Amino acid sequence: MRPNLALLLLFCCLGVAAQAQTARQERSIALTAGVSLADATLSHSGNLVAAICSDRLVRVWSAHSGELLRTIDENGKLPSAVHFSTDDRLLAVAYEIAVYEKGAIKVFDVGSWKVQYDLATPFTMYTLVFSPDNHRLAFSDFHNDTEKIWDLESGKNLIDISPPFGGSVSLSFSPDGRWVASADGDAFVRVHDARDGSLRSATKGFTLEPTAVAFFPDSGKLLAGGVEKTISVIETASGNILRTIPRQPGVIWSVDVSPDGKQAAVVYTSAERFADINHLMLWNLDDGAVLADFKKQGITIYAGTFVGGQYFFIAASTSQLSLWSLR
Amino acid sequence: MLNRRDVLQKCVALGSVSIASRFSAKEMLAAFQKHETQHRKPTPPNTLGPFYKRLTPVNDVLRAPRDAGVPLTLSGQVFDTRGDAVDDATIEIWQTNHQGYYDLDGYRYRGKRLVDKSGTYSFESVIPGHYPDKSRICQHVHYLVMAPGHETLVTQLYFATDPVFEGDPMKNYARDPLLQTPELVRPVILTGDPNEVHAEVQFELCLERL
Repeated sequence: MRPNLALLLLFCCLGVAAQAQTARQERSIALTAGVSLADATLSHSGNLVAAICSDRLVRVWSAHSGELLRTIDENGKLPSAVHFSTDDRLLAVAYEIAVYEKGAIKVFDVGSWKVQYDLATPFTMYTLVFSPDNHRLAFSDFHNDTEKIWDLESGKNLIDISPPFGGSVSLSFSPDGRWVASADGDAFVRVHDARDGSLRSATKGFTLEPTAVAFFPDSGKLLAGGVEKTISVIETASGNILRTIPRQPGVIWSVDVSPDGKQAAVVYTSAERFADINHLMLWNLDDGAVLADFKKQGITIYAGTFVGGQYFFIAASTSQLSLWSLR
Repeated sequence: MLNRRDVLQKCVALGSVSIASRFSAKEMLAAFQKHETQHRKPTPPNTLGPFYKRLTPVNDVLRAPRDAGVPLTLSGQVFDTRGDAVDDATIEIWQTNHQGYYDLDGYRYRGKRLVDKSGTYSFESVIPGHYPDKSRICQHVHYLVMAPGHETLVTQLYFATDPVFEGDPMKNYARDPLLQTPELVRPVILTGDPNEVHAEVQFELCLERL
């Protein structure tokens, strides 16, 4: 290596190191022998972890102490999705009643663990997300093209925002509660009015399926990415792509935007092995710089959340569930 | 006991059915009976999967001359649930190459076409491979079928020759976690000679009317 090039690389590395964040394992929770995770979610405060386990139970732990707080067993029904409300007071669980067909969604009170809301769905739902005020729940499946917004209080007012075909694997409410964005299987990112279901915009910039959407704090923009491997910043009102984050080798699995709108946590999965969901990158949205690049074999990254400017995420191996942070 | 035809003729005679057509009462009754009795079960749907690609070009020859893999002709006819051919359906298909990889950058092994006036279609391709992750997802071809006045159909065609089925797809179809019915597993007809084997698969499609 030539000395000047070595010096240049040294300065580059110092520059990266100065702002780079490293991942730290905060806590690990041993899983019951023989039980693996099918899905897991972290509450918005980072205090609670809920997981769908291979024994058809939903387990809820304290993220801080690792204590098992609750085991939810709905008579052996197979859970298909879990999601906490934004205030951590509710936990929605979707169930499969008949394979790919009849389903149900139950919303539990976190604490008493009583069912607060109960909805029979025509198909099994695989994506759940609460509105910011937690009065509504959007849900979707990717098999039967169902995508709806459920008014929890009335229990009946279901707004249909289903795409023409292909369903949706990711939904996001805007922080002001006005819009709901969906990453639809027919290769569109759509934004609907969350109050009446009218279509606000449809982004035509994708040809392959988008798989993750998340709004910026101002609700005026959203992030989306998917099989095309590129993260796009999209204007909510027009659906126009404003800019993109450099393409990576992996397919985008999930995106989270920091509360100040300056960072994005992006989880990637291998395009060849979709089960390898083990690569997380933290991006500076202002200049496109990489703030953290974490990859670990043998784990699956399930979900994350920004808390106080820090990103926390949960990952699991075959024997344990772990809470990680980027510092 | 009166048969169905007798009942219909009696209905005409008693005025409970009137024929307002340039065709004879006999022809109309035959057509009525055919439509009433000849119905098809809609093709079962299957998941779209994450590799659908929008803006696929019109193309029914997906196989290039020197492509590796077993050459495959996929063909069939599109019907509605009454058994009538659907002559304005668009069929879009996509699949992996013979090694199990989708083309995400371009449109290899992706194509679409309009059916002809009798609702028939065919595509020239290769038998797709298994996904390289060694999962139990069987070899398959994705179908997206759209026709005015009909429900859009998203489904997949599977091959009875897939080793996962061990020669008995009726028994073993559920080994593929996404396959809920053996109806989507189609027999494979091999033609040619051992040096130039060619596979043919028929896949009839039935759409639900809106």
